[in-house]
Amino acid sequence: MAIAGAGQLNLNESPCWGSRSVDCFEKLEQIGEGTYGQVYMAREIKTGEIVALKKIRMDNEREGFPITAIREIKILKKLHHENVIKLKEIVTSPGPEKDEQGRPDGNKYKGGIYMVFEYMDHDLTGLADRPGMRFSVPQIKCYMRQLLTGLHYCHVNQVLHRDIKGSNLLIDNEGNLKLADFGLARSFSNDHNANLTNRVITLWYRPPELLLGATKYGPAVDMWSVGCIFAELLHGKPIFPGKDEPEQLNKIFELCGAPDEVNWPGVSKIPWYNNFKPTRPMKRRLREVFRHFDRHALELLERMLTLDPSQRICAKDALDAEYFWTDPLPCDPKSLPKYESSHEFQTKKKRQQQRQHEENAKRQKLQHPQPHARLPPIQQSGQAHAQMRPGPNPPLHGSQPPVATGPGHHYGKPRGPAGGPGRYPANGTSGGYNHPNRGGQGGGGGYSSGPYPPQGRGPPYGSSGMPGAGPRGGGGSGYGVGAPNYSQGGPYGSSGAGRGSNMMGGNRNQQYGWQQ
Amino acid sequence: MAANFWTSSHFKQLLDPEEVDVVHQQDKDKGITLEEFKLIKMHMANYIMKLAQNVKVRQRVVATAVTYMRRVYTRRSMSEYDPRLVAPTCLYLASKAEESTVQARLLVFYIKKLSSDEKYRYEIKDILEMEMKILEALNYYLVVFHPYRTLSPLLQDAGMNDMSMTQLSWGLVNDTYKMDLILTHPPYLIALACIYIASVYREKDITTWFEELRVDMNVVKNISMEILDFYENKMIADERISTAFLKLALKP
Repeated sequence: MAIAGAGQLNLNESPCWGSRSVDCFEKLEQIGEGTYGQVYMAREIKTGEIVALKKIRMDNEREGFPITAIREIKILKKLHHENVIKLKEIVTSPGPEKDEQGRPDGNKYKGGIYMVFEYMDHDLTGLADRPGMRFSVPQIKCYMRQLLTGLHYCHVNQVLHRDIKGSNLLIDNEGNLKLADFGLARSFSNDHNANLTNRVITLWYRPPELLLGATKYGPAVDMWSVGCIFAELLHGKPIFPGKDEPEQLNKIFELCGAPDEVNWPGVSKIPWYNNFKPTRPMKRRLREVFRHFDRHALELLERMLTLDPSQRICAKDALDAEYFWTDPLPCDPKSLPKYESSHEFQTKKKRQQQRQHEENAKRQKLQHPQPHARLPPIQQSGQAHAQMRPGPNPPLHGSQPPVATGPGHHYGKPRGPAGGPGRYPANGTSGGYNHPNRGGQGGGGGYSSGPYPPQGRGPPYGSSGMPGAGPRGGGGSGYGVGAPNYSQGGPYGSSGAGRGSNMMGGNRNQQYGWQQ
Repeated sequence: MAANFWTSSHFKQLLDPEEVDVVHQQDKDKGITLEEFKLIKMHMANYIMKLAQNVKVRQRVVATAVTYMRRVYTRRSMSEYDPRLVAPTCLYLASKAEESTVQARLLVFYIKKLSSDEKYRYEIKDILEMEMKILEALNYYLVVFHPYRTLSPLLQDAGMNDMSMTQLSWGLVNDTYKMDLILTHPPYLIALACIYIASVYREKDITTWFEELRVDMNVVKNISMEILDFYENKMIADERISTAFLKLALKP
């Protein structure tokens, strides 16, 4: 601690230990909601600097300071990289409770602890989902390279992120991309001998080895997620939007082929292989399905979406891939267009009003139900969400608490499979507009994490009351392939009433992230 | 632990012995001497060890817990932060930070089982409250590097990785946590000092190996001397601990 001169007070020195009070910051507005609690945009009073304050909620904690927060703090304190979100400090809010001596009692910490992060304007998912947004190739290369650079840094420092997804990749208006939300991250040893939980990574981005129950794994799990994001950027929508583990695996097998001892030596020894191994032969169709991709992009994607984790490309090699070194080259982040910053939380009210309006319209239409203009018939499974993102009125995560996903598919996993199917729901019951629930929920910004308490975000299209399976009942692989194994009554298949139930499976719905 | 020691907070926060050996004014006012201050910390390190054996966590958790406790007392007084609560709380926090979580319930059960002394008997609520204070005192720096990780590769490199040398030097490293060495020296030097003592004790000549290491042998020898001094003075009479605690109990 700096020593103040005689008669002076140490007002300006920040102490070397202990933490400053949250009063050093002026909360501007709430921009998110996470496991820990709220995320605020705030201004440091002394410097005027804009930061993000992520509250660590302490109530309801039977085991004290949450271990997820400990992991995140521990890891962020040791990672210093331009592509990793910077934890600036931790501040506490001095609670009002004092005991008789005027000392804060233990409850002072119930007042709250905040992690102070540098402020970022967007996240990748939010940005991609902006109306009319189309990324250019140099832009995609630029983001991908930053993602891989940051991830490589983590892996070199023996940290697995374990929740790589678009909404955890924050982007500022200088075009910088940073990995965020290390709430699921942990250190690993190179021998991969420790048993780790396989209940990590948002379902859509979870690699086959985890889905098959592997508990010994390494950085390759993150690389699979990167592959999913890469494909999503090029394809315009998530490539494996499974609603539960079996469906997730099936979607993977349909695209990447079924694993066997030839393409993945040792796979048959993974715990749940026998439960999940496909009953029919499935060929790898990645090249065929994505044949319209650039040659080098496809080559890289092939190596990221390799079933066998030991053969999957690592971050370092991916950075050396031809893709990043052929024209058009990745652009300079600074050259990227600046987008108006907006956060889901801010726009929520606006959207709610809009939704209200839409629902009123819908009620009227219900009197004369008509086939959805854009909606494909059930059998045309592949088209189900094809028009969503590039369309004129793309969803902003458009999440719906997925009904069909009871607690069953994420077990007790603390953070829930944020990747519920809710992201691009077919608006089966809606009228002629594209997306009634442009709630922009889901994703969960990188500052937040975890299971989101129900926010009462209501059922945006719950009012439709249209019973029975929606047009998407059959699910759909998204590639126009048949989907023989899907159970009917897919994620959005049930009635309007069911949609409203904010079940655990709808976690994703509750993530107020940093997306617009 | 992952990451690089040289960029870690642990490295940046290494202290001079003079900074560690400071009895806080509040404790001093109660008559606590530097020796008693050290004694209490050692006693608490032993207590953490005993608790850890019961709740069954790895040695690394113990080492981290002791380090937390020692760091706390470079910044906070024992009068404000009762060692008998700080010690188990550090173990609790370290178990989380080292991914070997121990339930607070279980810890409290063993606290009560281990000690009949009322003053040791703290409840879950107390531990959870103290946890927050400790986190703050540690400034949320939770990563600690330990000599254990470098010990085996070093022994192997020196060609001394036989059972008896490994056990002896490992045991010596364990004992270094009864001192403040982990706050004042980089872990690899502590490991080397332990290897040095072990080699002298077992009469193995590894001078050339040490020479090739290009480390400052003076530092290694100084650390070794500190460890040996400690063994010499290790006569811990229980009364001395009790005396110290009696002083702490005084009202200021």
